[in-house]
Amino acid sequence: MEEQEILTTLKILIIGESGVGKSSLLLRFTEDTFDPEQAATIGVDFKVKTLTVDGNKTKLAIWDTAGQERFRTLTPSYYRGAQGVILVYDVCSKQSFNKLDAWLNELETFSTKHDMVKMLVGNKIDRPNHEVTKDEGLKFARKHHMLFIEASAKTNDGVQCAFEELVEKIIQTPGLWETSGKNLTLGSKGGEPGAGQGCYCVV
Amino acid sequence: MDTIVKENIDPKDLKSFEALYIEQQRRGYVSEKTQFDYAWCLVRSRYISDMHKGIELLKDLLHSAKDDLSKRDYLYYIAIGFVRIKEYESALEYTEAIQKIEPENKQARELQSYIKQKLKSDGLIGMAIVGGAALAVGGIIGATVAAMRKKKSNQ
Repeated sequence: MEEQEILTTLKILIIGESGVGKSSLLLRFTEDTFDPEQAATIGVDFKVKTLTVDGNKTKLAIWDTAGQERFRTLTPSYYRGAQGVILVYDVCSKQSFNKLDAWLNELETFSTKHDMVKMLVGNKIDRPNHEVTKDEGLKFARKHHMLFIEASAKTNDGVQCAFEELVEKIIQTPGLWETSGKNLTLGSKGGEPGAGQGCYCVV
Repeated sequence: MDTIVKENIDPKDLKSFEALYIEQQRRGYVSEKTQFDYAWCLVRSRYISDMHKGIELLKDLLHSAKDDLSKRDYLYYIAIGFVRIKEYESALEYTEAIQKIEPENKQARELQSYIKQKLKSDGLIGMAIVGGAALAVGGIIGATVAAMRKKKSNQ
């Protein structure tokens, strides 16, 4: 198999309240594992993963930020230059959903790319007693021009899809990213069709 | 891990958090949050003297830390600071201290294996220097012996 050249490197952020499962989503995406005892993130964590979307190979530099109050003053410095953001809430915590506005405001203040692509993820759908309905999530996302998906890092529902859709949208946004190689052209098809996961992210 | 360890702070951020710290100091009370923000900036500065200062401020916070979560956070950034000034042995002590609080902490484990890798490669470089010197000495002795033998057989 021919080694495909990387089209571009994208900076992706993961933000949201403490305990909503940001690191668990990242761990599921990068290592396909889940740790029920996942410790609270110290400051920021960083992972790299390559992802091929529509035949375009991209390298994702993913910054996972701590939701803890202690780090909140300084984490916005990591927003600079990000092309995509995954904003996470816990479907079983209305409080984490109510804080989304504050997160978006902060993003608006500190991000440098104003056409950055935003994905709203309602995590922990495997759990009972949801406090936020899918419809509420969807409405919020529509209102703020975000992509939306409900997911579970535990059962691996929607995780791959969240990242794929985000990257696809970034690639489709002209001027948001630059190619890393010279002779690279944007592919339109040819990527594996996501093993029939049935992505249903919407704007 | 390399990205986290080598990441430098924007000097503007360092300046603004430094100003806040100095202002509070002038008023006679520095909050834990302000001290932490400033220290976290300092350990990510480009300058070694700043990194040292950051480590000291974090150690000070560690002494008065009330809960395990804050202890763990301070320990982690002290370890990062020591890695940045290349004091790997000290850095290792701090990652071990985190593991006493949270044995399964992945960030601590990753940092620890990064430090061990650094120690190993530094050790290998040291050994290579010593080994190279030994080879050179061996070569000289070998050549001398060979020359002496040649001399002997010629006699």
